[in-house]
Amino acid sequence: MANARALDKRRKSVRNIRKITRTMELIATARFKKAMDRAAAATDYTARITQVVSDLAKSGLEVTHPLLESRDKVQNVRVLLLSANRGLCGGYNGSVLRSAFTQLESLGNQGFSITIDASGKRGISGLKFRGFDINDLWIEFDDQPLFEKVEEIANGYLELYVAGKIDRLEVVYTKFVNISRQVPVVETLLPLGELTSEDNRGEASDDEAPSMYEFLPNAESILKEIVPTSFKVKLFKCFLDAAVSEQIARMVAMKAATENASEIIKDLSMTYNRARQSQITGEIMEIIGGVNALKG
Amino acid sequence: MAEFTCTVVTPETTVLNEKVSSLVLPLFDGQAGVLNNHSSFIGRLTYGELRFTVDGQEKSYYIDGGFAQVDNNVATILTGRVLKIDELDSQKAKEQLEEAFGRKANSPELMELRDREMAQARAQIRLVEKVGT
Repeated sequence: MANARALDKRRKSVRNIRKITRTMELIATARFKKAMDRAAAATDYTARITQVVSDLAKSGLEVTHPLLESRDKVQNVRVLLLSANRGLCGGYNGSVLRSAFTQLESLGNQGFSITIDASGKRGISGLKFRGFDINDLWIEFDDQPLFEKVEEIANGYLELYVAGKIDRLEVVYTKFVNISRQVPVVETLLPLGELTSEDNRGEASDDEAPSMYEFLPNAESILKEIVPTSFKVKLFKCFLDAAVSEQIARMVAMKAATENASEIIKDLSMTYNRARQSQITGEIMEIIGGVNALKG
Repeated sequence: MAEFTCTVVTPETTVLNEKVSSLVLPLFDGQAGVLNNHSSFIGRLTYGELRFTVDGQEKSYYIDGGFAQVDNNVATILTGRVLKIDELDSQKAKEQLEEAFGRKANSPELMELRDREMAQARAQIRLVEKVGT
């Protein structure tokens, strides 16, 4: 039977670990709530932008813009990977990296020249481990990405795209579907494709009344400005989604870890009590044996 | 004075959602005033001062371009960044202006980018000076 003292020591250390995982779970929960609020605000902004676009479309303006059209010949593809700075969040980093690898492989097979950017220490080290070169990397994005910072990155990409240095931008990140479902996805952000997202198109076609708006200075000028803006917001949304998903993943992982620790403590307690009991029994037997020997 | 709702939204948060009695927007081709029952319009904003009156008091913000939509007595302002005037850094803006001046712009796209940075810096400097005097 195992040594009772060693068992007690192990139980203590498991208890300490449980304390840590419990705290991490609580922190992740608080951060998740904050990140979720920000995501909701961003959704509000996107919805309003979409509304303006659909009003523009209703005014009979042909929605065309260089950022919306895909290029005939695609040569340079930029891939941006969004991951976490820290681990201990279950399969979050692993699954986003895995989908990045498959995407990189398929892009490589198609003969594109690929440049990789990455955000998050885990993603960076994961890519480096597989021998990929990283062009640009960021580690300053945590649970609350700032729009200012994301805008800088977005402006950089817009510049490169307009200058013809990149023909396509793909973002690999974890999309937040709902609280119990987050999926790693690859999204093509440049060219933008359709401006009005699918969920809103149904609404727009419901009322076919011509737009009542006056456009200042004119519809074309607004369109020219709104397309880069929606790209920036879309990229920002990717960062926010990744942040929210990370916190959820950490929350779930830490909850499981805490539960596991409790289970282990229960098992260890039982073994410890048994060991203690058998130790006591053993000692009594020894004493009785000694007394009997003296009597005899 | 009759009031209407003014909402200022950035991708991060809703900055303002209040009843205002008047509103002055920095539109792309000049300032535009909005009062109650203004006709519907969608306007492109530029860098500059957003001024509005709440309870007889005039307040202002610096906004970083974006769009304004006025419809049915609701004014919605969509912008990338909103700052209070005293949060502006005129020194940094001057540096940005200098840097933009020195930059080479040999294509229409780059030229537009440079003009944009200049306009942004100039608007910030102008606002800071206006408050300072």
